[in-house]
Amino acid sequence: MSQHALSDQQVDNELRKMTAFIKQEAMEKAREIEIKANEEFEIEKSKLVRQETDAIDSQYEKKFKQATMSQQITRSTVSNKTRLKVLSARQELLDNIFEDAQKKLNEGAKDKGKYQKALKGLILEGFYTLNESELQIRARKQDYDVVKKAITEAEQEYKKKVGKDTKGTINEQQPLPEGSAGGVWIVGGDGKIDINNTFEARLELLKTSAAPAVREALFGKNENRKFVD
Amino acid sequence: MCQAEREASKIVQKAREFRTKRVKEARDEAKNEIASYKSQKEEEFKKFEAEHSQGNQQAEDEANKEAEKQIQLIKEAGKKSQAGVVKNLLAAVLEAKPQPAVRA
Repeated sequence: MSQHALSDQQVDNELRKMTAFIKQEAMEKAREIEIKANEEFEIEKSKLVRQETDAIDSQYEKKFKQATMSQQITRSTVSNKTRLKVLSARQELLDNIFEDAQKKLNEGAKDKGKYQKALKGLILEGFYTLNESELQIRARKQDYDVVKKAITEAEQEYKKKVGKDTKGTINEQQPLPEGSAGGVWIVGGDGKIDINNTFEARLELLKTSAAPAVREALFGKNENRKFVD
Repeated sequence: MCQAEREASKIVQKAREFRTKRVKEARDEAKNEIASYKSQKEEEFKKFEAEHSQGNQQAEDEANKEAEKQIQLIKEAGKKSQAGVVKNLLAAVLEAKPQPAVRA
């Protein structure tokens, strides 16, 4: 018996089936590719975004920190500046006061009686400190008379308080300049040790020793001060 | 058949092109999102700076005002007490308090 090949219609059918199959496969493959494409899209996009936003975040964290710090620095600088302004105003006042006192120094020498009393005290200080039996006194030429009297008074009190004798002699070879406001030098130790008890020197010392008292008199007690020796 | 295969090929090709396009789209969209994130951060930062520089200016003005007040007080204290203090200083210059040395 002879077998016929497939009929035309069967061939047709087969062809149609195969065509549909090919198309079907292609579409499935295409679908797979599309799905993959969308997955890759999501992954790639979110990876890029996260990477960059993290970098941006850390960059801005630094920026914010720096801005805060620089603001703190500015505030501290401002507060320092203003504090210094106030402190320097105080110092200016103090300087003015001492300048004022400096100008009026020579008034101390005007009243002879008071001046002699003052000189006695200054000379006596020298006597007590140097504790020698013979001392030289330097003074202004115009003060020699009153100084001589003051020396005598000082010698007497020294004898009374210490029980020893001491003698002060004016060194007329080395007078104090006329421009000095007053006071004396007391020299001992063979000319090697001296005590400068002139008015100028004493005022200069007061600049440091009297400053706390002056400040308190002007500005009142300092609540912030921790050390008062 | 050949035609079917050609068509099939076209379908797959289109899908591949779609995939390539998607990769590029991912990069472009990411770029946009990143850029807008950055500009949002920058705005936040600028606002922060502006607030604080204003705060600084205020603080400085207040501090200066306070300093002026204090300086005024100092000047007044000076006017009130200067003469008295000078007098006391001059008195201290004149008045020595001599003490004999105490032998140990």
